[in-house]
Amino acid sequence: MDFKFSEKEEMLRKAVREFAENELPPKMEAMEETGEFPMALLKPMAEVGITGIITPTEYGGVGMGYLARTIVLEELGRVCGAMPMAMQVHHMGCAAISDFGTDEQKEKYLTRLAQGETMGTVAVTDPAGGSDVIGMKATAELKGDKYILNGRKCFMTNSHTSDFWVVIAKTGEGAKGMSAFIVDKDAPGAKLGRKENKFGLRGANTGELAFDNCEVPKENLLGQEGGGLGVAIKTISETGRTGMAATALGILTATWEEAGKFASERVLYGKPISALQAIQFYMAEIYSQLEICRLLCYRASWMKDQGMRCDTETALAKYYTCESAVNAAKKAIEIHGSYGIMKEYAVQRLFRDAMVTVPAGGTAEIAKVVLARAALTPFKK
Amino acid sequence: MNRIIVCVKPVPDPRHWDKVTMDPATMTLKREGIPSILNPLDKHALEAALTIRESRGGEVVSLTMAPPFVDSILREGLAMGADRAVLLSDPAFAGSDTLATALILAAGCKWIGEFDLVLCGNLSIDGSTAQICSQLGELLDLPSVMHVIGLEWLDNDRAIITQRIEHGRVRMEAASPIVVSVLKELNKPRYIPFTGILEAESKELKVISNQDLKIDPGLIGLNGSPTKMAGLEVRRFERKRERVEGSIDEIVQALADKIHQYGII
Amino acid sequence: MTVNNDNGIWVFAEQRSGDLHEVSLELLGKAREIAGQANSMVTAVLPGHNIRHLAQTLIDHGADSVLIADDPQLDTYRLLPYALALECLIRDYQPEIFLMGATALGVELAPRVAAKVRTGLSAHCIDLNLNEKGHLLQVVPGWGGGVIATITCPDHRPQMATVMPGAMKAVCHEGREGDIRNVEIRLPEDHFGPRVLEIKKKAPEGLPLEKAEVVIAGGWGIGDQEEWAMIEELAGILKGAVGATRPPVDEGWAQEGQMIGQSGKTVRPTLYIGVGISGVMHHVVGMDQSKHVISINSNPNAEIFDVSDVIVAEDFRKILPPLLKELKSRLKD
Repeated sequence: MDFKFSEKEEMLRKAVREFAENELPPKMEAMEETGEFPMALLKPMAEVGITGIITPTEYGGVGMGYLARTIVLEELGRVCGAMPMAMQVHHMGCAAISDFGTDEQKEKYLTRLAQGETMGTVAVTDPAGGSDVIGMKATAELKGDKYILNGRKCFMTNSHTSDFWVVIAKTGEGAKGMSAFIVDKDAPGAKLGRKENKFGLRGANTGELAFDNCEVPKENLLGQEGGGLGVAIKTISETGRTGMAATALGILTATWEEAGKFASERVLYGKPISALQAIQFYMAEIYSQLEICRLLCYRASWMKDQGMRCDTETALAKYYTCESAVNAAKKAIEIHGSYGIMKEYAVQRLFRDAMVTVPAGGTAEIAKVVLARAALTPFKK
Repeated sequence: MNRIIVCVKPVPDPRHWDKVTMDPATMTLKREGIPSILNPLDKHALEAALTIRESRGGEVVSLTMAPPFVDSILREGLAMGADRAVLLSDPAFAGSDTLATALILAAGCKWIGEFDLVLCGNLSIDGSTAQICSQLGELLDLPSVMHVIGLEWLDNDRAIITQRIEHGRVRMEAASPIVVSVLKELNKPRYIPFTGILEAESKELKVISNQDLKIDPGLIGLNGSPTKMAGLEVRRFERKRERVEGSIDEIVQALADKIHQYGII
Repeated sequence: MTVNNDNGIWVFAEQRSGDLHEVSLELLGKAREIAGQANSMVTAVLPGHNIRHLAQTLIDHGADSVLIADDPQLDTYRLLPYALALECLIRDYQPEIFLMGATALGVELAPRVAAKVRTGLSAHCIDLNLNEKGHLLQVVPGWGGGVIATITCPDHRPQMATVMPGAMKAVCHEGREGDIRNVEIRLPEDHFGPRVLEIKKKAPEGLPLEKAEVVIAGGWGIGDQEEWAMIEELAGILKGAVGATRPPVDEGWAQEGQMIGQSGKTVRPTLYIGVGISGVMHHVVGMDQSKHVISINSNPNAEIFDVSDVIVAEDFRKILPPLLKELKSRLKD
């Protein structure tokens, strides 16, 4: 076991940190106000390689793998949680097409995503069911050389900033009755729905899509007909969970730093409050969670890079890191005392951002279903 | 354009400067635990070189005089886009002042071979002497221009250079080869692209010593430097919290005296 | 060839188009002081073209003699001919010490000259002294001011230093007597490097807050717009910039860009004077790197006093009016 990062990985971290610290803060005030993704940053992020980090070089990506991606998202999240949220969903779009697309589909769509010409997303969640994927009501019926899509998709990150979406809909019944499609924004019958107003991770657009007899060419079927559940599950469990975990990890890192700085500067009773044992214990707890989550996130992404089965580890990293980020942020607010509830201080945003990561990209409850399986299966009689 | 040499220097990270201590015996600064970064202005110099290479071709070589353990900093320059890196490292170089350093860098430039342009940052954030550009130019017997905020390379191996002076700008036309030091207004350095990080691994980073440069040891290092350190002090800011009391008149006089003492009036 | 066996203290008289830079006069003041200690003479070196009229000013400010190197090639400042001219003079006259201002010109010229004559040069000195051997002690800041080094140049001559403008004080005695001498310098008719195409002069801009040497900051305690005028007046007198905490900005007495603190600017002036400021942390983080901090607040337990060097626990309305008067009268002298 080698717990060290390579020189390349250290350089990567340093490079992203510099990018994040310089480019994100000037945009953050507007993001908090409007909730809009700063489109002006898409090209610079593409230029350094953020948008194409997991996409193979043949399709305009950098092909650096999931551990590198975790480092990138973590460093972005340390400055502004909304950025990795938007980027990780973008990567889900990349992964779905990369893993299940034909060469033609990859030529047509994947390169554009990797190079940041547009943003990617995978539309799974239906108003009828998020966690209950099979319960979705969106349908797709083959008529001649087109599929006709009907239904709505909600809580989609990047919905309004994407030129095309990967959409999962029912072509049959049950687990083998879903299919994945690449739907162009301009497809007849495709409509942008409402934009959501989240209380955290503001700057990652979240919205609804509506399909009213939407025509999707047959060639845009992604993967096999009936294989849609597989597309959704693989993308969510391997790309989505690691992405959300890394986002939360960045937020948790920032929380630790804010709390540590404040505790070391704030003077009460003639000393910085970091001299008080109660505060020290809070900091110890925050730091312990940070270290644990780092290990969980890095291990899960390492396993993915090795081609190992990792859905349990990704579920654990996602649920545990998001939960820890919220708990740490709560403690950090309390360390700040009444300063912690003032908007001028970062901790309130970190708390809101952390909370949004909890249900996004997979609830804790679903994660625990996965973990329970791993916990009990060895003892099944 | 054949070759641009960019002089880059690792400097202690300013975010950790408050950790510096001094060894009173040797009167040197102890930098343990203080990480290094690439001197910020040197990034602007690298960016200028890379921009010229994009339109005019040629090779960009980074040149550094430093102790041997600065690999990762130099790899950053390679990741940014430099083609190769040359590190001049030798115990004989240690303690060199600016004249000695310029002598060593000049020897390094000559060792690298023919070049059209030498770029460096106007100053480094630690020593901040801003003396290398002019001295390097003199020792290479080449024209030099400092405080550069505009650099346009023309077809006929000439350049239009804009220099910032107090209250104004000077525009000049120069022939290559030339030594130029840049200010941050010149450009916005590109962020290190991830592809660059992957490529940097296989780019050449060559370490050469005085055995290769063969500079007279009497002209370099601590002993060969004309300037010597006679005293060194690390400043720690501790507020004085001096209460000024008395009649209004007395207070006002005391304040005016303080303002005078601080050198303001 | 030694023409003059007075190996003295030289000061470079910097001029562009006949405009003499203040720093040269400041350096003459310091040179005069050092010359007194070393029992030596001060020479102002004035390269240029048609600049003889500047000589008396240099003498008034402390030069015992002025060496004028007048040549048409030195009309517009260019690095190479100026460096060559100074090299010739140094080799002919062999001065002990050669001081230049750390201006844009000086910072470029001095190292070139030092390299030409293979001597030592220290940069951006904030102070100069003599040691017991009569050698020049050059005090320079490094590491952003966190480290102060004292440099000497024991074995090479001249001992050269560039000095920060404003670090030394100019002293004028009008009508002083001194020696003005025209010197022949041998400048080859050469290309001399870059050709100047154009010089664009700009009116000096208003000083950005982050660069100000003096910052006068006002807080909620100022009370109203009328009283705020005193903050601006104090800044004006001390040639500083005005800063504020959040409440004065909200009240409209100050602008957003003048706000100092967590969500505003960070300042590092030589002198920060806080008036009517309580000193909450999100303001303090923007000014606690100031070199000297004076605070005036009627609350004797104001937090700002913890981060102050000089504390005045009085109502600023009682202190500022007489202080403004006192400063004005001192500046007149």
